[in-house]
Amino acid sequence: MKGALLLLAALGLGIAAGLYYAWGVNPVSYTDTSPASLRDDFRADYLTLIASAYDATGDIQRARARVALFAYADPGPVLAALAQQRLAQGWPEGEARALARLAADLQGVSASTLGTQATTPPPAGSPAPTRTVTPIPSPAPTRTPTSTPGAPFRLLEREPVCDDAFGRPLLQVIVVDAADQPVPGSEVRVVWDTGQDHFFTGLKPDLGVGYGDFEMSPGVTYTVQLVDSDQPVTGLTPGECTAADGTHYPGSWRLRFQQPER
Amino acid sequence: MKTIVRLLAVLLVGVAMGLVYGWLIRPVHYVDTAPGNLRSDYRTDYVLMVAQSYASSQDLQSAQVRLASLGPQAAADLVTQALTYAVDHEFSRYDLDTLNMLAIALREAAPTAEIQSP
Repeated sequence: MKGALLLLAALGLGIAAGLYYAWGVNPVSYTDTSPASLRDDFRADYLTLIASAYDATGDIQRARARVALFAYADPGPVLAALAQQRLAQGWPEGEARALARLAADLQGVSASTLGTQATTPPPAGSPAPTRTVTPIPSPAPTRTPTSTPGAPFRLLEREPVCDDAFGRPLLQVIVVDAADQPVPGSEVRVVWDTGQDHFFTGLKPDLGVGYGDFEMSPGVTYTVQLVDSDQPVTGLTPGECTAADGTHYPGSWRLRFQQPER
Repeated sequence: MKTIVRLLAVLLVGVAMGLVYGWLIRPVHYVDTAPGNLRSDYRTDYVLMVAQSYASSQDLQSAQVRLASLGPQAAADLVTQALTYAVDHEFSRYDLDTLNMLAIALREAAPTAEIQSP
């Protein structure tokens, strides 16, 4: 009896060790993934890219094959909902239109769920078009749209930086995900009293793919908001820094955003 | 001694069972991957889509942002890699030209477009 228990314990220990190795130490590599495994926000970007490419080439066969990678039973409503979502979130209208066009073309209908759909003007002399009810692919009920899955990014650090090597005051933004991995392609909006602009992380990969910056003007106060955050950062004015030789120069700001765990 | 050998043997059987279960039956399932982890054929198609979109819009910044999702490499290098893959796998002349056009545009562009100050 005792021997049997020992054997059972050894077997259990062995299984536990094997699972620990297989899941924790050396899990199946994920370097060769398919688009279907992409995180929701990247998946949305990928689908938008498919639509943009289709919009540029008109190659429906290729677009259909690309969308098929995601194994949607009916991709039309998914794309239409994505078009509406991105339009509501302020993404370029052209992207939303391309998504709506692809959604419609995949379903073989010309209707679009976008109110801003571009239409070809009727030929001169033709009767004025009458408004007809067209079948509109009704998107399935979805969750409240969010620009990225999970909680919005939160400001983790707000730090004045004095570094005369920059040569100019910079608004530096670093965006990382919940796993502390840099997030490229995050849009950052910058607003000041006489204007606004935006930039993206990842355009200076030598400084980190989650990094982006914006040149500030001395004396101007800026408000910064990550598009994927509901938390604007206000009151950012280049401070005064003192160099080693006693001269003064305008300082920079470094903001670090992180997405909390879901 | 005999008992120890039997225990070790059972332990190894357990390890093997754990590995089979963990690697084959129920491997770690990644669902939240990034474009940078895509297989090379998908990466190439991703870059091709960026190039096709660029060919129509001529929006180089948008292309750079999209390519940045593929990793920290320079955008031009990513396109060059895609071109190499496309040549090796006999993509159409049109696809190669489209990729080449984006590669040229990225090479000709300044190192990185600076955001202008207000």
